[in-house]
Amino acid sequence: MNAGKLLTLVQKEWLELLRSFKLIWVPLVFVVLGIMQPVTSYYMPVILEKAGNMPEGTVIEIPLPSGAQVLADTLSQFGVMGLLILALSFMGTVSGERNSGATSLVLVKPISFGTYIAAKWISMMTLTWGALLLGYAASWYYTWLLIEQVAFGPFLLSYILFGLWFTFILTGTLLFSTLLRSAAGAAFSSLGLAVLLSLLAGLMPKYLSWSPGSITGSAYQAVQSLEGFDALASFGWSIGITVLLIGAGLIGSAAMLRRSPALD
Amino acid sequence: MNETTMEISKLIPIIAPIFVIQLILMVIALIQCFKAEETRGPKVVWVLVIIFVNLLGPIAFFLFGRRIKA
Repeated sequence: MNAGKLLTLVQKEWLELLRSFKLIWVPLVFVVLGIMQPVTSYYMPVILEKAGNMPEGTVIEIPLPSGAQVLADTLSQFGVMGLLILALSFMGTVSGERNSGATSLVLVKPISFGTYIAAKWISMMTLTWGALLLGYAASWYYTWLLIEQVAFGPFLLSYILFGLWFTFILTGTLLFSTLLRSAAGAAFSSLGLAVLLSLLAGLMPKYLSWSPGSITGSAYQAVQSLEGFDALASFGWSIGITVLLIGAGLIGSAAMLRRSPALD
Repeated sequence: MNETTMEISKLIPIIAPIFVIQLILMVIALIQCFKAEETRGPKVVWVLVIIFVNLLGPIAFFLFGRRIKA
């Protein structure tokens, strides 16, 4: 793999992200989602009073959630809406280019399959981590403004853990995008994988604490961090396995691309 | 009564950024929609969806609206 070639290809991918406006609208949507959560939590009693069909004189007592709880809710919101948006916007990343013939145009140049996949992956990840950071930071700021300050350490730790989960699922999208011809198929297999993994991790936390699905749970715990919560000690296994699987997914994508670089 | 009006005046600066961002998204989506040679489905419908469906309208257009040239 050649660093100069990789950089050129990454720049090409960024340019494409910019031209398709993904570089702008994806972070903006994350920011809106991030702001929404603390605001709706804070104003829930008012919203219920104005919009709900409550009989006159009903007194609703909803305890204000703690700041950490609001941030955990934000993360779970990102885990559904954010992941859906990211997976859908990256679903055609390889299959679309392959169908249109752009892949063959790139690959006739002396560029290895690994470099091509790595460039795709790096550009996807910069957008993902950037959008997640902006949205989560907006949520953090609003939580601070409206409810209470959450310490920076737990915020950062939960951001990294959740980013790792996103990385894992989107690497899956990339892999399925090279495997399958249809873009929608890639998006829905990787989203299905996300749902399946988090469902299994939720159902059998004892046996599946090593699975990537338990990372989301550990991110929620990290932000609500209880004194002395040690991510590496409690979730070292799932983190390690996730990193391994991400690597395997990348190698697998490169191998799959080598097998069918173009439509015949 | 006084209390609720106070709530609302406090609310405006808080939710203003949400409206601004949604407006930006709407404008970008509209520009893209007008510039697109071909959209998936009638262009007029997309314009209406972008303008009237809050937040999800522009997202839906960005994700599904444009036909990828083969």
